[in-house]
Amino acid sequence: MKTFKLENEPKIKSGFKAPENYFDDFSEKVLQQLNEKEVKVIPFYKRKKTLWMAAAAVVGFAILIPAINNYRANSTDLDEATLENYLSYHSNISQYDLIQKLDDSDIEKLGNDVTLEDETLEDILATSPNIEHLISEQN
Amino acid sequence: MIDEKEFIKQLLTPETQNTAFQKLLSDYQKPLYSHIRNIVLNHDDADDVLQNTFVKVFQNLKNFKGESKLFSWMYRIATNEALTFLSQKAKLSGISSEDLQNKTIDGLKADLYFDGDEIQIKLQKAIVTLPEKQQLVFKMKYFEELKYEEIADILGTSVGALKASYHHAVKKIELYVTTN
Repeated sequence: MKTFKLENEPKIKSGFKAPENYFDDFSEKVLQQLNEKEVKVIPFYKRKKTLWMAAAAVVGFAILIPAINNYRANSTDLDEATLENYLSYHSNISQYDLIQKLDDSDIEKLGNDVTLEDETLEDILATSPNIEHLISEQN
Repeated sequence: MIDEKEFIKQLLTPETQNTAFQKLLSDYQKPLYSHIRNIVLNHDDADDVLQNTFVKVFQNLKNFKGESKLFSWMYRIATNEALTFLSQKAKLSGISSEDLQNKTIDGLKADLYFDGDEIQIKLQKAIVTLPEKQQLVFKMKYFEELKYEEIADILGTSVGALKASYHHAVKKIELYVTTN
């Protein structure tokens, strides 16, 4: 096969040509386009489409913030008062069941939390009709 | 011929702007058309890109610092516009730039504004196989017959690098034409 060498060949032209008279009115076309561009007002929302989308995303997120906060507030652990109310009024767990669930450390903790005057304690012991039963239960 | 600085001043002065811009258009429309057409290959696209190029030139004249020649600066804008156009067109068609160019070359035979035979089409096909930079250098040197110094100024590379690029391009083209 004959090796093709560019320098040995007659100059190859690109072969591209412009339509006849194309350049006659070309400057006219460009100047017209320039005039149009000068008066053409591009609306802000079109030019900055992405900016608007970003702004919309921020607003959307801002609207969601209270909802997210509420959701979080609702889903946090029950506070003590609610738990206490539930146990006192709505459950079928009796005081007796609760006491059974307490271990020594709980009782100790209760002793620290609830400071009873000796007098109050004496009153309770004196007025409680179940005192004997409780004492015997403890032993 | 008037001094380039003086000409730029005329382009920027409202009273002389119109006449000066007309002159700029008539001086550069043909060489820039060829330059752009060699990159985008078909006439309609070249027409679009050439118009955009002159609009950009006009809009950016006030930023033209005169660090390079007006000639190189305009060629640089035209090159960028043409390459951007090509990549956008390829992206819109969902194909690579090389596939797009191959498709355009296949349609050249039926192109009213292409006056070439088999060897010209083969040469175009060979050029498409080159990396973008080599394509540009080859087209500017071989078809447009620009000087290495001018090409260097337009593309912002050294003359040495350009010579090497052109040499590689020629070798690859010769191999392609010989084997295809």
